[in-house]
Amino acid sequence: MLQLIKLELKKGRLTSYLWGALIAYLCIAGAMSVIYFADPANLEDPSFRSQAEMLSMIDLLVRATFIVYASVLLSKLIISEFKDKTIALLFAYPVNRKKLIFAKLAMVFVWTFVNVIVANLLVGGLFIGINSIWGYLSDPLQTEMLLQHGLTVFMQAFGAAGMCLLPLVAGLRNKSVPTTIVSSIVIVMIVCSNNLGFSLSSILAIPLSLSVLGILITYLSFRKIDQMDVA
Amino acid sequence: MNEIVRTYQLTKSYGTAEVVSSVNMTLRRGEIYGFLGPNGAGKSTVMKMLLGLVRPTGGEIELFGEKLMPGATEHLKRIGHLIETPVFYEKLTAEQNLELHAEYMGYYKKDAIREALEMVQLIGTQDKPVKQFSLGMKQRLGIARAISTRPELLLLDEPINGLDPEGIQLMRQLFRRLRDDWGIALLISSHLLGEIEQVADTIGVIDGGRLLREVSMESVHASTTEYVEIVTSNVNLAAFVLVDTLEVENIKRIGDNIIRIYDTKLSQEALTKGLIANDVPIQSINRKHPSLEEYFFDMVKGGESHASTY
Repeated sequence: MLQLIKLELKKGRLTSYLWGALIAYLCIAGAMSVIYFADPANLEDPSFRSQAEMLSMIDLLVRATFIVYASVLLSKLIISEFKDKTIALLFAYPVNRKKLIFAKLAMVFVWTFVNVIVANLLVGGLFIGINSIWGYLSDPLQTEMLLQHGLTVFMQAFGAAGMCLLPLVAGLRNKSVPTTIVSSIVIVMIVCSNNLGFSLSSILAIPLSLSVLGILITYLSFRKIDQMDVA
Repeated sequence: MNEIVRTYQLTKSYGTAEVVSSVNMTLRRGEIYGFLGPNGAGKSTVMKMLLGLVRPTGGEIELFGEKLMPGATEHLKRIGHLIETPVFYEKLTAEQNLELHAEYMGYYKKDAIREALEMVQLIGTQDKPVKQFSLGMKQRLGIARAISTRPELLLLDEPINGLDPEGIQLMRQLFRRLRDDWGIALLISSHLLGEIEQVADTIGVIDGGRLLREVSMESVHASTTEYVEIVTSNVNLAAFVLVDTLEVENIKRIGDNIIRIYDTKLSQEALTKGLIANDVPIQSINRKHPSLEEYFFDMVKGGESHASTY
């Protein structure tokens, strides 16, 4: 399995993935800066009233970004193989088809999971630092709050990693990259949109259920891949 | 074990449409098998079934002496292929594509990639991204990829598509070399008889999903012997004189006014003299050498609407 993942990385060039992640981190930090620094002008109705709310906002941005990013990866790793017909090449190798697909899905799952956590750590750390120097959020940082947030981020990362597989089902229907990416944006708009501090994903059961659903539907989509004719 | 590929009543249907019907074919080690048929005859589907890309709906496939089971992959290590258009990871270089292929195939011979590129004369372009390759170069690279892991069976679907005359010549030489030096069995499909007959040891003619005939090129050449064709307004008299008076043994009546003589005992002059002496009206008399096209045209008569494309 690791060998298959290594070959996938060779195909897509590892450095391009790392650059992509770095750019995503910068975008999240940039968007967060706008929210953070634009807000003091509107002190009567700030976007967040505590550091916990600030970290939640970062988590939301991070997940939204990496769910969409995952759809780009799925397009590159799976949809384009079908679209460009390289899948016929791949399925004529002496490797089980399910293993080939599973390696790709595992990459997207782990990539999203790890990046949600790392981005939360980096951007969260950055803004805790910024707030301690120039900040207007004066509530103290409590270990208990940080631990609680850490646990939430961990579960949300799992939620995002499973949920991000959902667009694949839509994209596979007509082997379309745009469909895959648009589906992921729709999911993000539904699950991650923030309405007065509330988003569907803040009810943990929702992202976790969607994650399980994503994994289940993906499994069902590829269950009979061994019997599928490659035209 | 001499047979590399054997199919028994191999069939593939999509719904009610049967695209491959009860195909029985045999490909032996060190043999070039020309798979001849018009576009849409079912050649690619048969090849895809051999590769496991398409599941048969009927019949059996035996590869390397063993029955092919659904989902089996181990035999794929021994097969090289180029099916339909050559596809690559276009952003990668030619060499990276071949390295990737070797790793998936589990083949780790260091010089194999260079050797394969040399054989198709693509040395010097190995560091270029494939997206910069022309169709002909891609076709050659596809063949290089297929042979880079030293397969025992090579499946090539229309391999000369997009090649210039020089490239076609190179491929012909390469196919013979692979057969003679490496002992590879090659299954080469084409809709062009001219291409197939120059390299094939055996030809399988497929049309409408049916394998119409499987013949060795030796027997094809034997069947395309010279004959004398006489056009006459009195076929009965001509036939009587030829058999009874001139003692010609092998004649064939074609239609109402043509007779073909396959017996070469008598010269054309002697035949003419003998017929005239017996008052047979002769409109023309010619010595002919039937082309392979005619041979195959005759063979596929019945499914004849396609035969003209050979």
